[in-house]
Amino acid sequence: MVEYDRSAPSESSGKDPLNICIAGVGGAGSNVLDRISIDRTVDAKLVTFQSDIRVLNRTNVTNRVQLGTDLMRGVGAGGDPDLGREAALFSKNEIRDALDGHEMVFISAGLGGGTGSGAAPVIAEIAKSTGAIVVVFATVPFSFEGRRRGAQATEALDRLAKSADALILFDNNRMGELVLPKEGIQKAFAQGDQLIAQSVRAVTSMVGTPGLVKLGLDDLVAALRVSEGRCLFGFGEAKGQNRGTEALKRALKSPLINSGELLGNAKNLLVHVVGGESLTLAEVEQVMKQLGRHVPDETQILFGLSVEPKLGETITVTLISALSARELATARREPEAQQPVVQPAAVEPVARPVARQQQPAPTRAAPAPQAPPPPPPPALDDLFVAAPLRTETLAVEAAAPAPPPVAEVRPAPAPVAHAPVVSAPAPEEVVYEAAIEDVAPEPPREPTRDSARVRLLNVVNPEKTVAAPPAQRVAPPVDEVRIEPEPAPQVVAPVPETVSVPISRTPETTQVRPAAVAEPMIVARTPEVAVPQPEPKAPDLFGGRENAPVAKKTAPVEQPSLRLGTEERGGRFKDTEPSFAAQGNEDLDTPTWMRLRRRVTK
Amino acid sequence: MAKSTIYAGLEIGTHKICVVVGEAKRDGAIKILGVGQAPSRGVRKGEIVDFDKVQTCLNDALVRAEDRSDVMIRNVFLGVTGAHIESLNNRGCHCLPEDQPEITEDDVEESKEIARNVAIPQQNVFLHSITRQYIVDGQEAVRQPIGREARTLEADYHIIHGVRGRIQNAIRCVREIPLEVEDVVFNPIAAAQVVLNREAKHQGALMLDFGAGTVDYVLYEDGMVTASGCVPLGGDHISQDIAQAFQMPHGRAERLKIDEGSTLFQDVPPDEMIRVEDDNGLHVTDVERAFLNEVIYLRTQEILTQVRARVDDHLGKLAAGIYITGGVSLTKGIDAVAKEVFGLKVTKAGSAPVSGVTATFENPQYSAPIGLIRYAQILDSEKPFLSPLSRLGRRMKELLH
Repeated sequence: MVEYDRSAPSESSGKDPLNICIAGVGGAGSNVLDRISIDRTVDAKLVTFQSDIRVLNRTNVTNRVQLGTDLMRGVGAGGDPDLGREAALFSKNEIRDALDGHEMVFISAGLGGGTGSGAAPVIAEIAKSTGAIVVVFATVPFSFEGRRRGAQATEALDRLAKSADALILFDNNRMGELVLPKEGIQKAFAQGDQLIAQSVRAVTSMVGTPGLVKLGLDDLVAALRVSEGRCLFGFGEAKGQNRGTEALKRALKSPLINSGELLGNAKNLLVHVVGGESLTLAEVEQVMKQLGRHVPDETQILFGLSVEPKLGETITVTLISALSARELATARREPEAQQPVVQPAAVEPVARPVARQQQPAPTRAAPAPQAPPPPPPPALDDLFVAAPLRTETLAVEAAAPAPPPVAEVRPAPAPVAHAPVVSAPAPEEVVYEAAIEDVAPEPPREPTRDSARVRLLNVVNPEKTVAAPPAQRVAPPVDEVRIEPEPAPQVVAPVPETVSVPISRTPETTQVRPAAVAEPMIVARTPEVAVPQPEPKAPDLFGGRENAPVAKKTAPVEQPSLRLGTEERGGRFKDTEPSFAAQGNEDLDTPTWMRLRRRVTK
Repeated sequence: MAKSTIYAGLEIGTHKICVVVGEAKRDGAIKILGVGQAPSRGVRKGEIVDFDKVQTCLNDALVRAEDRSDVMIRNVFLGVTGAHIESLNNRGCHCLPEDQPEITEDDVEESKEIARNVAIPQQNVFLHSITRQYIVDGQEAVRQPIGREARTLEADYHIIHGVRGRIQNAIRCVREIPLEVEDVVFNPIAAAQVVLNREAKHQGALMLDFGAGTVDYVLYEDGMVTASGCVPLGGDHISQDIAQAFQMPHGRAERLKIDEGSTLFQDVPPDEMIRVEDDNGLHVTDVERAFLNEVIYLRTQEILTQVRARVDDHLGKLAAGIYITGGVSLTKGIDAVAKEVFGLKVTKAGSAPVSGVTATFENPQYSAPIGLIRYAQILDSEKPFLSPLSRLGRRMKELLH
């Protein structure tokens, strides 16, 4: 067995330790600092920066700097980052005094609040100006804290990014999930603090100690190089038999890593193995081999190794990586997605863009009324974007013929602005709400012609003028503006196929409808119904029709799944969980011959 | 004379509840003492949906088994299945301490411990962890590592896990009878013990237990369990397809399937009709045989395709082919469908010969419960032999605690 030469000099890090300072800014930051000072794990100077004198007095860190003594008079910034920044600028000199003469400065702050988001960037700037390397550990607020705080945090992040050499972000939402819901909130916060404290410690030792295989700040930055990255951090230590494996196991168990599952998406992964002088190559190899199973082949592994005599028999394994906030969110949502949902495959791609469409507020100019019917989807889309909310959602769906992601449709602008630009900020909930409200209570098998007539009656609903006028003005010649009145807004049980049956005012279109509405979606449900093929004369504009109901189905998110099921899964299998095909999502409890026939008739 | 132990195996199936009482001798022989069976109600897709009905049926089966075997049943080995049961293979690697050249029992335990430490969904529990092989310093397929000189030891495990609540429910249902559950066994693991012989396991074989509610499968490669699982589709689905195709009650469709059903529809003359009678022998309707067979064929083929989708990666190494057991394997022509789907040799098989009540031999419906007895026997033979005295001592200890 190969063993490292214990007499190798220069590797002992104790000789010339880096001069490190850890600064905690604001309430969250000082909590982390408290944790570090209790653990006494890091060999560094700890300084707390606070504007609130009461909090400052409570910490057990000896170096304290009160921000903006004169300005704030010992009161906190009260969630106002401007105030926090002012306070920090007032105490510029004290900050500089506290930070000066350090080679590295770690700043820990909770973003979103006043002092954290306001003062931290200033402190980072000052630290940078003293010539130190600045690493920021920041937490992003819980989503329940509201958008305002979220926005403040983002702004603070932008500022921090300018002066910090590395930015390690922790998502509070994620950390909140780490703790079992029943556990006390104190424990939840304590655990969050501990995690950050651990990562501070790990990063200090990683950057600070010269290693056999050295990792530097550059590697750290590389590992975190993901836009909008949220840090995945895992730390484990163990001693005794199989300590390497054990330490890795613990590192993987670290909740931010989610037992290694999240690593599957990571592009870069930094691994730092530190051991006492008894560390063997076999152990390191073992650790890396085991880790390899959790990490895809494409991932770049930044490996570091150092020997720290202080550790004795212990081995520590540190994993650092980053995932973009979006990936993290999808990874989290996965288990839900696995729930069986009987929906045509086409549903999702269509429905999602609809929701996304809301974000860029519909400030698009309406197209020319003369817009010829042939390129209807973009034209329609834009047209309805200009109309207020409700029409818009309808139109978006109607205008998505074969699931062209709406994003694609949108960029085709129709520059001629006829209608006033209506900017309706549409939060997503509204979309769903609208979708539900728009549903007319109607038995699904009702003869289409009848339903059309019923519909027509509904259309002439005088209250509905809100949406109607602008839209009408926009496209008089096209004249089949889909404005859906809401006859009964409270109706919650949607009969989706009726949802996007367009309402038109002209008699011709009304006549067209029976053909266009056809029954493709009913067919999907009740096999006995003969399938009338949609008549070819159905105008182009209705091209999107067949898909429209599909898109609509997902809209009422509250009641997903099992549309197929509830209607057909009677009898024998009704109280069992549905069986799904390994590929696709056919309900296998439906007789095979029935499904085959349906496929053929389609 | 070899010492023997009496075991009872209980399978709560979708079609029938079956209790098999068997005598397992220490030399490996099994003698079936009695079988109690009752049609099952309240079970769907291998899982209990109606406790009360199941308990009534279970009581029936139990009384019959006790009657026939003249044994009072207190403990049972319970076979479970269900779509929630999944499996995976995992390896645990263990480095031996430096000052120790040989593998000891502790090292084996340690590597097993590591192998078993695998992430499964939170609500799941381990049902089985079956040692597939040991790997000593990279050398694969070691059966007995203790005493070898090595640096690293890896244990390769096949782990079967399922949702805790759903397994717990089955156990609770049985306990309320009251019966004590000695062990919970995943059905196909038990069935494979009697359906596949050692040679088939070594050559590589896929066993399908085609039951009423589920198709449970186990795949052996080189004598090691490589894959196992459950597809929640079965004979019930076939009957239901028939019931809906001909619009008749499920019970009648089931009868029709058993009496007349086959998967061979191509050679049937198109106008051949089957006369369907009700319970009193009165003519109800006529059914076109070709259509009936086609309905059965379509469903059977689909179910087998679903199974294939799950074991597709391992089909290359199955020299012994497919073994089909379970009630549906009695359907005419099912081997042809399986052959078409898997492209391998197909054998319809029941349990390997055991002595005792001869009628139960070879009937594929009883593979799983007989397998439970065999499983119990294997489990017992792996346990260290305890003298009666020490056994008594252990009993006392258990009582005191």
